[in-house]
Amino acid sequence: MEPSLIAIEILNGIVLGVIYALVAAGLTLIFGMLDIPNFAHGAFYALGAYVAYTAMSHAGFPLALIAAPLAVGIVGIIIDALFIRRLARAGHTYQILFTLGLVLIVQESIVLIWGPNPLSVEIPRGLTGGIALGLISFPYYRVFLVVVAALLIAAVWIVLERTKLGAIIRAGIEDPQMVDAIGYDVDRLFTIVFGVGVALAAIAGALVLPLRGGQPAMGNELNALSFVVVVIGGLGSFAGAVVGGILVGLVQSLMSIVFPAADEVAIFVAMAVVLLVRPQGLFGRR
Amino acid sequence: MTARGLPFAILILLIAFAPLVVHYPELLTQALIFGLLAAAFSLLLGQLGFLSFGQAVFNGLGAYAAGLLLVHVAHVPILLALIAAALCGATGAAIVGLLASQGAGVYAVMLTFAFNELAYYLAFQLRDVTGGDNGLRGVVRPALFGLDLSSNVAYYYFTATVFLIVFYALLRVIDAPFGHVLRAIRENEARARTIGYDTRRFKVTAFVISGAITGVGGALYAMLYGFVPLETVDFTTSTNIVIMGILGGIGSPYGALAGAGIFTLLSDRLSHVWAHWPLLLGVLFCTVVMVLRGGVLQLLHVKRA
Repeated sequence: MEPSLIAIEILNGIVLGVIYALVAAGLTLIFGMLDIPNFAHGAFYALGAYVAYTAMSHAGFPLALIAAPLAVGIVGIIIDALFIRRLARAGHTYQILFTLGLVLIVQESIVLIWGPNPLSVEIPRGLTGGIALGLISFPYYRVFLVVVAALLIAAVWIVLERTKLGAIIRAGIEDPQMVDAIGYDVDRLFTIVFGVGVALAAIAGALVLPLRGGQPAMGNELNALSFVVVVIGGLGSFAGAVVGGILVGLVQSLMSIVFPAADEVAIFVAMAVVLLVRPQGLFGRR
Repeated sequence: MTARGLPFAILILLIAFAPLVVHYPELLTQALIFGLLAAAFSLLLGQLGFLSFGQAVFNGLGAYAAGLLLVHVAHVPILLALIAAALCGATGAAIVGLLASQGAGVYAVMLTFAFNELAYYLAFQLRDVTGGDNGLRGVVRPALFGLDLSSNVAYYYFTATVFLIVFYALLRVIDAPFGHVLRAIRENEARARTIGYDTRRFKVTAFVISGAITGVGGALYAMLYGFVPLETVDFTTSTNIVIMGILGGIGSPYGALAGAGIFTLLSDRLSHVWAHWPLLLGVLFCTVVMVLRGGVLQLLHVKRA
């Protein structure tokens, strides 16, 4: 096998992995921290791609990268405040079921608004072309994607771990009644965290759009994969989501040249094994 | 006739005369098959309190077991195909149940989900055996002791007989002490264990029963359309089963059957009228989850009271 082929697959694996990490980081906020098993996470990713598509044609790519997470994040906040929060007492089962119904609604709304045909979008101006790496060339857009995703993940991490707001959120997760008693509106805070988690999925969808295009069911695969990543990385562990995401991306990319028949199988075997042997995941503490 | 016997007698009459009212025996057969799948799911969620996201695994095992037998072996009796499907579905369910019942809550749900994805990609990759995304073609529909089932009406009555036998058995299981233990586990597993029940054994047994019924459903479906589509093991099939079970009312197999009926009717009739019917289904489903936990069946009870 050619070394340059392996090198390009490793680079592509990192790009793929960073996308997974970004979506999984959002799911970690929602599932790992707020304890809401949001099965519609992939649907929000798809919605993000579609909103970005419309925003791009009117206002260009940079604005689309802001509009998609903003719009979808607000949708997420509304859905959480009106419905999901009220299901908290009914337990996980009903939250899973509700978000499952949400997938149908979001996916079919996408078909209703944008039609069933796949979207394809050109690489934004200024980001075409690539870096020459010996005989091969690596597209600028992929570098851009990795940088933006890394910055976003770092920003969320810094807010969570290094600011007062992050401290209040973490305290609220540990002991909501106490934080409520001190005078913070935990419910409202958590609804905003839910919105941020959804927004991360949406911006990932927007970033992926020029790379892979879009189609109404594009969220299903990513939904499954982000649950795999969150489970493997460790529920509630932000670092686990990032490392797990890149790991899954790399495995998928390398398997596609070594043993293409088993790339998906390998990932779900890994998920099942982690669930059985180490349910707290690689980085989880629980 | 006991109070319990009355609804079942009405069900027999409804099923017996349905083809006179609805002139689509294929659609009715499909509704009954989905009814089996949803009822098997309701045993796990409604009685045991376990949300299984992997029902399509057992469905696929049954469909492929029966399908492969009927494609590759000559003169397989139809009942043998169904038994093989039940055994394969039950075996798969035993493994999934054994592994899932050691985890707690949402982890166990995730595990059934992982198994479903695993089964799907395996079926997709083993195209020499399963036909991959082309599906397994050439599944024949054997005669029943010389009785020709090739007409869709004849096959409807065959499916209806299988359905009623399985459905009745399931009702008995739920009424039996076994069913009471499942509900005890659902309400408080630690308490059930403290009383002295080996809760894990009961959970795995519930999985085995559910898997066997789901496997039979898969085989009946394969013989209805003469092939096994890859969608049989798709996660979407699992979620459809979940949706059917919840819509009608998860508390009883009758509710699950009602949900399957509504789902089949909506997906067939409404899809001709309005292509975006899944939107309506999603809204209906979310409404049931939010405010009508007893499903559509609950509406009937409220009216009666």
